[in-house]
This record gives sequence, structure tokens and C-alpha cells, in this order.
Amino acid sequence: MTVQITFDSSWQDELINRITNDGPWGNWELYKLANEVEQHTLIPQFEGLQAPKHLSQLTPLPHQLEVAKQVVENMNGKAILADEVGLGKTIEAGLVLKEYMIRGLVKKALILVPASLVSQWEMELNTKFFIPAVAQRKSYVWEQCDVVVSSIDTAKRNPHRDIIFQQSYDMVIIDEAHKLKNSKTKNYEFVQNLKKKFCLLLTATPIQNRVSEIFNLVSLLKPGHLGSESAFYGKYKKDARSIDDDKHLQELVNKVMIRNRREDTGIEWTKRHVETIPIEFTSAEQELYDSIQLLKENTSETASSPFSIMTLQREACSSREAVYYTLKNMLKRQETPSAIFEQKIASIIKKVEAVTSNSKAEKTLELIKKIDDKVIVFTEYRATQLYLQWFLQQHGISSVPFRGGFKRGKKDWMRELFEKKAQVLIATEAGGEGINLQFCNHIINFDLPWNPMRLEQRIGRIHRLGQKKDVMIYNFAIKDTVEDHILKLLYEKINLFEKVIGDLDDILTKLDFGKVEEHLVDIFSHSSSEGEMKIKMENFTSMIQFAEEMREGDGHAATGNS
Amino acid sequence: MQQQEIHDFLLRYFQANNCELVASSPSYMTVQLTEEMDKELMNRPFYWHYLEKTGGVPNPMKLTLITNQQQVPSDLKGENIHFGSPRLHQIFSSSKKLAGYIRLYENYQGAPGRQTPLLPWLCLNTKISYQCDRKRDVYQSIGLQLINGRMVTGFHDRLLQVPLTPKIPDYAFTLSPIIMPKSGVTRIENLLRANLSEEDHTWAEEARQRWEKDLQLLEHFYKDIEDDTESYEIEKQALREQFEPKITISVINGGIFYLTDQAI
Repeated sequence: MTVQITFDSSWQDELINRITNDGPWGNWELYKLANEVEQHTLIPQFEGLQAPKHLSQLTPLPHQLEVAKQVVENMNGKAILADEVGLGKTIEAGLVLKEYMIRGLVKKALILVPASLVSQWEMELNTKFFIPAVAQRKSYVWEQCDVVVSSIDTAKRNPHRDIIFQQSYDMVIIDEAHKLKNSKTKNYEFVQNLKKKFCLLLTATPIQNRVSEIFNLVSLLKPGHLGSESAFYGKYKKDARSIDDDKHLQELVNKVMIRNRREDTGIEWTKRHVETIPIEFTSAEQELYDSIQLLKENTSETASSPFSIMTLQREACSSREAVYYTLKNMLKRQETPSAIFEQKIASIIKKVEAVTSNSKAEKTLELIKKIDDKVIVFTEYRATQLYLQWFLQQHGISSVPFRGGFKRGKKDWMRELFEKKAQVLIATEAGGEGINLQFCNHIINFDLPWNPMRLEQRIGRIHRLGQKKDVMIYNFAIKDTVEDHILKLLYEKINLFEKVIGDLDDILTKLDFGKVEEHLVDIFSHSSSEGEMKIKMENFTSMIQFAEEMREGDGHAATGNS
Repeated sequence: MQQQEIHDFLLRYFQANNCELVASSPSYMTVQLTEEMDKELMNRPFYWHYLEKTGGVPNPMKLTLITNQQQVPSDLKGENIHFGSPRLHQIFSSSKKLAGYIRLYENYQGAPGRQTPLLPWLCLNTKISYQCDRKRDVYQSIGLQLINGRMVTGFHDRLLQVPLTPKIPDYAFTLSPIIMPKSGVTRIENLLRANLSEEDHTWAEEARQRWEKDLQLLEHFYKDIEDDTESYEIEKQALREQFEPKITISVINGGIFYLTDQAI
């Protein structure tokens, strides 16, 4: 057995040079230090992890360390990291990357993530892992920086694409890799042609619908591991829904994929406490709410959009400002509004003007004072957000706004302000992905979104790894209004609040998530009466309950439901 | 490396580089950098360039390094230093850079009037890295006497027992090497190569097996795809880079030592 041995000869040339010139010679103390340093940073074994002792800012959880070890020792640095949402796939990927960098096996790395997560990855790699990652903003970055974070959409376009294909990457990491499940897409082809030694694919949902998805993912990582395309589809049906059915396939996949579930991690998650706070309208508010019913009656302008009546009603439960804003827009949209329509709008606006206080805002104030800690208030409406900010300020409570539309930098800034200076964050949107607010454990849902995933995202901002306290969720609902119905039917029946993200994920995946959303749109926008809405809701809840029962009963069977 | 070791290391580094200690406790230190050290560590070339152009008075920075966050005054501002911190690794590589080559004499106090001969030794401190898809390193220090060709392993540790000085002591003289330093390095290289070839290389064998296995999968995958030879070649090359076993010997530092006959 011969192994190629390279001897670094650059040192001796300089030695001869210094002997000829009689120096300069190093200092004995430094010379000794250099040797000590080298002996300390030496990697004594092929096995094991060096990274943890380099990371003082981070205490990885046992399952995260185990994943990193598995990837390095048994998977040769090519793996699909498929932990459930919230278990820290980013940390696992960072550990693996750091380990290879310490061992000198990775110098150049490319990290492809959704655009909204670029800065966060950059920040986490720098602060938690001391990896000098750079977000790609200028085109010279591709060539000059060793660790680059970018969105795949930027990377795949020229001129970037051509430059990237010239690079030889030691490691490529792809976040949200389930977006690469289709081998016919440009993104897939792009990733396939990257020069990469080691590769990590991160996804919480490695299979959403069909086995072909896993074939495509694995083939990016390790072509041939699941056989050639024709051989694979000869053996497994293309649209088979689950790999559980085939032991052999499952085994093969497990060689390149690690999936931890919440319950396997042995971590005690903090609890969620949900409190519904019923609120009563003042008489002026009640009148405003009732007056919206007027619009329902035989006006041609509104007949076409039952949704806007529903919207107005929900807005009336939030703030008079929200109603006013929408009314204005409704008027503007009509080119020639009929006199009767204008008249009706005017009468509602009168009611708006008659409202002098906001019951929910009063309650919010009371609650914030009682909590006497950081609180996030979520509302669906920007007008309400602005009003609340003003209202709280009047009562000497500092708050910062947060919207999905903010640029990344502004989001980070607001988060920072909230953590260090302000008591309250008023958000109109969960911000979807990205912003983490574990330092806060109180959420007030000033009004409720009709999409339960949105609500999960809201709660997910604070109920995640790193949250040390129990999470308190306060839901506001005005008695005997559309809001009350939403709360009762959707949230209390499906028992959403007590569920954690991963569980819900599972249920929804098996239900085929797209349909859930369609159902909700249908229920809330196409129901012509509250009665119809109620019936549709009942149907929908029982569907979800059915899926849940199936899941508890037998893991396999649930896949057939939809 | 424990925090205490890091603390001692930093103290020794700054002392060796003539930086004055402005304040210190077992938990932190504030050092006044010299001009050279400021240029070495603080990464502000524009400042120094500007000074040189304008002829201003140089004002090197003070640096506060904290090795135990729990036990420092609360108003103390400084950098937290731990084993993974970029600053520590910068200082690590700085000490390697500043002390790559050395020449020292044994500080032998002989009797006045009696001249003591000092024998030339060449020392190489090396790092041997075994690399495939994994990696490990071994430290080796070799000394070669440049007159009779005697080789000694673990040479650096032996040197630590010998009093050394950068100036030739009184009443001592050096013998000229018979083996030239250049061929001395080659002799050491050959010794290392010979030792390596006798080692057990199961690790390399296993890496080749993993490589071969993945290569077979790859070929199987591309068997029925005819028009995609480009990505096949890319993948094939990537596998080579990932698995191919190799050993690299790099020199950490080294130099010439003049020692008495009985020193080693």
C-alpha cells in the first residue's frame, strides 16, 4: 500500500536565505509558543468532534452533537439533515462545517438559503461558530471569500452562475432543500452541477408527497445510492406516497439521512398556556359592528364580495381605524358608486366617528401592565397597529412596530430595539421565517388570523429551542361576533394552541397541506351566511380530527387520506 | 486549552514581543502594543500609511483581553478570549509567523581561557497530516547533527532542557557543518518518508474502499444516461478530492542550534 506523501519544501528555501543573510532570527519564547500552539491545535484522531471545544458561545444539544458526529464519521460528510422544525438544523450544519474547517478539510464553502434567511445565516455562522461567512452582495465575493451565503435564486442567474461553476467547493450546504425535489427544475440542475466534496441538504419535510422526491434529493447528494433512475422507478412506483412500506428503501435512505423527532430528543419543551379573554363591546362599538350588516342588503356593489363584509366585521372587532381605512378603499374602488351605496358607507362612517374608545386596547393596556415584562401583540391590520402604537405611547408604554414588508436590516433593528429598549412589539405579520424572539414569552393575539398556520408561525417565534419559560398566549375575542366563532370552531376544536409545530406539520403533510388552505379560503370567503360557515367549519374540523386519529392509530394508513 | 493556559500563553506572547502590561489580573490583561504589534494584530494599514505620509506621532493601541468573564470589573471593556475566538487564532498564527526560523547557542559557562566547541544541529518541527475524507495530525520534532549525521526524534522537548541564548557565549566557538543545511533538510525528509512507509495504512485502504464503492454507484447511476458526461466527470473528480488518501508533511518551524557535545 503506497500513499502519496508531499513534503512542504517552501520552508527550507527561506532557511537557506536566512542563513546566507545571517537572520533575521525568531525569538526563543515565541518559537516555543508556536510549538505549544501546534500541539494544542493538532487533531489527534480521525474520529470524534473537535468543534465543541472551539465554541464557547454555544452549548449544542446532545442530539445535535450526535448528528454532527454521524455525518462526519459514518456518512463521509454527505447527508440530508431532516430533523423536525425547531430542533436546530442550522446548528447541526454549523457544527459539521466548523468540524471540517478545524480539520482543514474544508476551506471554501457555499451556503444556499432562502433570500429571507441570508443575513441570519451569516450572523449565526459568525457569532455562534466564528466562521467568517459573508453574504453575497458584490460579485467579487464568489471568488475572494471562502464562506459565502447566498440565495439560490441569485446564485443560479448569470453572471453569478458562470463564476460559481468555476469554483471548486469543499462543502455546499442547502437550506430548505425540499425545494429541490423536482429534478426538472433550473434550481436542481444548478445544484447538480456544482463542484462539491461534502454536501449537506437541510429540510424538515424530505418527502411531502411522493417517493420520487427522495430519489431526487439523494441523487443530488450521492448519485447512484438509490440506483439509476430507470432501475429505481422500475422497483418503486413513482407516486408511491411513503417509503415506510419498503424496508430496503428505508434502510438505504437512512444511510444518507438523519431525522430526529421532537420526542426523540429528550428535551423538555416549555409548556404553552392559552387563555382566551372574552371582551365586550361598548355600545358604540356594538352599533358599528351591527351597522356593517347593512351593507349585506341588496346593494350591487357589495353583493359580489361577501368577503369584504366578513373582513369589515373582523376589522370592527379590531379597531375603528381598520374599518375606516377599508371603507375608504371600498369607496375609491367604485368608479361610480350608487347614491345608496355612498349613503350606507357614510352612515357607517358616522358610526365609526361615534366610537370613542377601544375595548380591546384598554384590555391590552391592562394586561401589559399586569404582565410587566416583554409582550408581543399581533394584529392583522396595519391601521390597528398604528393606533395601538399611539395608544400605548399615550400611556407611557414603549413599543416598536414590525411588519413583514420591512427590509431585513430594519427587521433586525426592530428586534434589537425590542430586546434592549422597548417593552412591546406590535407585529402585523409573523414575519414567516427568520425572526426569533425567544427572550419574550408573552403573546397577545389582538385579533385572530383565519389561517392556523399563521398562528403557529406567530407562536413559533417565541416557542422554540432557547425558550426557557412557559409560553403564555392570550387570545382576544369579542363576544358574539365573527371572531368568537373563529376562535371557538377552529382553534378550540382543533385544539391548535396546545400543539407544537412539528405535530401540526405531520398532520398537515398527511392531509396535503395545500388543501387545508383552500378549505379555509372557501369557508371564510365563499360562505354566504354564518350558518353555512359553521357547517363548513364543522366538516373541516372533523376532517382534521380524523387525520389525527389515523396518525395515532397507524402511521402507515394515514398516508392514504386525502 | 483551558482558560488558565490561554491566559499564560497570552502573557508570554506579549512579553516576548516587548509589549508593556498596563493592567492585569488572573482574569484579564490590558497591554500597550508596540508599533510592530499594532501593525501585526490590529489590521489598520490605512492608519499607519497615513502616519508615514504625514509624519505624525504614532499612537499604538491598547488591547484588553478577558479570559474569565465572570471575574472582571463590570465596566471593563475588552475582547472575550476563548479557544475558538478569532483573536486567539490570529495570535496563534502570528507566533508561528514571527518564529518560523531560529538560531541559538547553548549558554555554556566554561572556564575562562578554555575554549568550548559547539556542534551545529538542524531542527525541524513538523506536522504530519493524514488526509482522506477525514483527517488527523501527528507532531514530530527531528534534530540532525550536521557533523556526524546523528538523528534524534523528540528533539524540541530535549532542547527545552538546555539553556539557550541568541548570542554566542564567551569562550565558545562553533564548528562548521559538514552536512549542508539544505541536504540536512533532505535527510530529515527521507527519514520521515521512510518511517511513514513502514506504518500501518489501513485508514488509507479503507478510504479507497469507500471511494471505490461510491464510484461504482456513480457509474451505475450514469449508465443509462448518455448525454450527461459533464456532470459525471464533475462528480467523479469530486469523489477523488473527497476520498483520495494522502499525507502531507509541513514544517511548523525550525533552525540551527549550536550545542555542546554532551547537551543531547
